[in-house]
Amino acid sequence: MNTQDAGSAGGTPAASSPEYRVAHLHDRLASGELGELGVRVEVRGGAVLVTGTVPSAQCREDVLSMVREELTGLEVHWDIVVSETASPDHAEELS
Amino acid sequence: MIRIAAVGDIHMGPDTRGTLRPAFDTLPECADLLLLAGDLTRHGTVEEADVVADEIRGLGVPVVAVLGNHDHHDDRQDEVTAVLRDAGAHVLEGESAVVRAGDARVGVAGTKGFGGGFVGASAGEFGEPVMKEFVRLSRRCADGLRASLEKLGQEGCDVRIALTHYSPVPETLAGEPLEIYPFLGSYLLAEAIDTAGADLAVHGHAHAGSEHGMTTGGVKVRNVAQPVIGRAFHVYHLPVRDRVGAGTGTGAATV
Repeated sequence: MNTQDAGSAGGTPAASSPEYRVAHLHDRLASGELGELGVRVEVRGGAVLVTGTVPSAQCREDVLSMVREELTGLEVHWDIVVSETASPDHAEELS
Repeated sequence: MIRIAAVGDIHMGPDTRGTLRPAFDTLPECADLLLLAGDLTRHGTVEEADVVADEIRGLGVPVVAVLGNHDHHDDRQDEVTAVLRDAGAHVLEGESAVVRAGDARVGVAGTKGFGGGFVGASAGEFGEPVMKEFVRLSRRCADGLRASLEKLGQEGCDVRIALTHYSPVPETLAGEPLEIYPFLGSYLLAEAIDTAGADLAVHGHAHAGSEHGMTTGGVKVRNVAQPVIGRAFHVYHLPVRDRVGAGTGTGAATV
C-alpha cells in the first residue's frame, strides 16, 4: 500500500485536475437540482468550453453560477443559449 | 397530406410557464396533430407536469405524447402521465392512438424507448443483473413499439408514425459525442419500426444531434428535440399513400 502523499508520488492532486473537475461538474449538473444533461463541458487546450441550450434564462444563470463555483480558477468560455419558442416559418415536405 | 407538428425536450418548469402557449395556439392553422417526444419536464415532478398540462390543454389539435428520461426522474411517471391525460393528451408507452386528420386516420405508436447502442457497438444481455436489465428494458420498449405499429396496420390506418424519446438510428445523433451514443438510443427501435412498418419516426433526447435520419428500411427519422429544431415545434407534411396492404412498411411497400 502506498502511503505517500499524491503530490510526493509525482501525481497531480485529483482536486486540481481540470478533467476530474469537469467530470464532477457534469455529475452535479445532471443529478443536482438543475437536472441538466444538455450542457456540454469540454477541456479544450488550457481552457474549458461550456456549450448547450437550456429552457430558460433562469436555467442559464443557474448553470453559469454552478460552472463558476466548480471551475474557479480555470479559464472558461461559454456559449449557452435559451431555447427558441417561436412558431416555425415553414414546414418540411416529406416525399 | 397530413400535417404533423412535433417537438421534444421542452423541459418545462414553473419558470417557463406559458412560454410555448402562444406558438401552440397557432397549431390549428398549420397542423393536424401535435406530437410530444418526451422530456416534457425537467425532473418529472407533478408540479412541472401541471405546467406542461396548461400548455397543451384545449389546443384545438390532438396531442400525442411519450415520456422521456427526465419525466421519470422523480419516479412519478404514472402521476405525470395522469396529469397530461387529464389535459387531453394521449400518453403512450407500448401503446397506440388513432386521431383524425380530415378523412385520414393517423395512427401513432409510442414508447419512451431506451439505450443500448447501435449495430456493431451495442450492449448485450450479459453479465451483471443490472446490465442484463438495461438491455431487457430496451428490448421491452422496442417490442411494445413493434406490436403497437402492427396493431395500427391491422386497423388500416392511412398513416403510421413511430413516436419515441430515445433515438432509433445513429444519424440523428450526429453532433453528440460518439462515446454516449449507447445512452441515446438503440437499434432495437429501428428494427421494430422496419419490421412493423411506419411512414415516419419521430424522437427527441439528443439535444446536440441532427434533425434528419433514416432507418435501414427507409423510414424517415426526425429528431425534434427543441434545441435541435430551434423552434417551438416543427411541421412535417406527410403524403397519404395508397397502401398495398395492412401491416406492410411504407418504404418497402409503396415505392
